[in-house]
Amino acid sequence: MPDTNFEPKIIGFFCNWCTYAGADLAGVSRLQYPPNIRVIRVMCSGTVSPHHVLRAFQKGADGVLIGGCHIGDCHYLRGNFMTIKRMRFLQDLLKFTGCEPGRLHLEWISAAEGPKFAETVRNFTEKIRKLGPSRLKLAVRAA
Amino acid sequence: MNKLREKVRNLLKEGKVAGYVGYMMRDSHPLPHFFTKERLEEVDQAIAAPDNARYPLDKLLQQVASRYPEETFAIQVRGCDERGLNELYKWGQLDPEKVVLVGVACNQAQADYCECPGPWTSVIDYGEKCQPVMKSRRVAQIEALGEEEAFKEWLGAFQKCIKCYGCRDVCPMCFCKECSLEHPELMSTGLVPPDTIFQLVRAIHMAGRCIDCGLCEENCPADIPLRVLYKKANEIVKDLFGYEMGVPESGPSPWKMLGEESTLETKPM
Ligand code: SF4
Ligand code: SF4
Ligand code: SF4
Ligand code: FES
Repeated sequence: MPDTNFEPKIIGFFCNWCTYAGADLAGVSRLQYPPNIRVIRVMCSGTVSPHHVLRAFQKGADGVLIGGCHIGDCHYLRGNFMTIKRMRFLQDLLKFTGCEPGRLHLEWISAAEGPKFAETVRNFTEKIRKLGPSRLKLAVRAA
Repeated sequence: MNKLREKVRNLLKEGKVAGYVGYMMRDSHPLPHFFTKERLEEVDQAIAAPDNARYPLDKLLQQVASRYPEETFAIQVRGCDERGLNELYKWGQLDPEKVVLVGVACNQAQADYCECPGPWTSVIDYGEKCQPVMKSRRVAQIEALGEEEAFKEWLGAFQKCIKCYGCRDVCPMCFCKECSLEHPELMSTGLVPPDTIFQLVRAIHMAGRCIDCGLCEENCPADIPLRVLYKKANEIVKDLFGYEMGVPESGPSPWKMLGEESTLETKPM
């Protein structure tokens, strides 16, 4: 039976220079987005290791959203080249092991894209809500 | 075997190498052995490793070479061991100028068992080339399951883990001084079985670096099909970045450099 009280727990890793500033802009523009996201600010999306993502899932996250600068706009020039390599790889590995790759999403959001930020968080939260609690979390809880 | 022994004997006698990391029969077991000029007669007992003699010689060589960085050593390699050396050169763990190969080609039964795409070496001193296996049936079996079933399979396997670290300790490609599997901020401590993500973390580290020797899986007391996981990790790296592990022409590992351009697209939500 689907859990109607289910509130997804989402961890967001946002780079300081673009997506985090985009979140700020969404805030000051009073754009609404669901409160399910817990944000971790990082200096560059390229510092987010697959370990951090897996750790978040292990600790009960239902979704992980990574936000970085658009390709070409990274403040460390090419840090986000590594971000996308890592996340694309991890999505495929999660798929192979049946760990629901759709729960990990990467989006490039600039400091000027407040509306895109709000919309991404909204859509991702709804997607995760439909998916329900993460398979990995349920397995961890059952153990 | 005579050709192999002759080569080793000459290398040692002429002082081209300071030692040879190979195999010898002892108490009817084929065991790794370090041959030197001082005990040249032992070379008469040197053997090409039979199929069931599976040791991480690349790992032993790293230990010897770090102790004697100026010296050159010879080492017996199969296809996987040579892939390992190539990868270790790229990661700066060994100097290709200081390694001499004594190559052994695996037989068909071994190649089939390993599902090995390269069961021979660039120099062959023992054995003959057989048919490589280009596609892993074991990986395909998991892919055919569907995600929910695949998760059940893996979860069942991961829950058998006794966290002995045998997979890491035997692996010729695990050379880090500090291991993420033991990092208290990344992995829960004091749990058996460990975190469900334990094997996934290791798979991340092995992606594009695992030379598919299969030693981890053979070493695992819980019979976890680790090799299947790492075969797939390598496959993903090849598909996404065009990087083939163990191949010198593939250039540096995609994890070692950012790259000059980024052509990957983010996945739609
Ligand atoms: S992986 Fe197996 S078949 Fe391939 S070279 Fe190594 S031992 Fe031989
Ligand atoms: S097969 Fe296992 S032991 Fe061999 S390189 Fe890969 S991870 Fe290491
Ligand atoms: S060898 Fe097997 S049981 Fe031991 S830590 Fe590795 S996966 Fe777990
Ligand atoms: S600084 Fe934003 S992705 Fe690198």
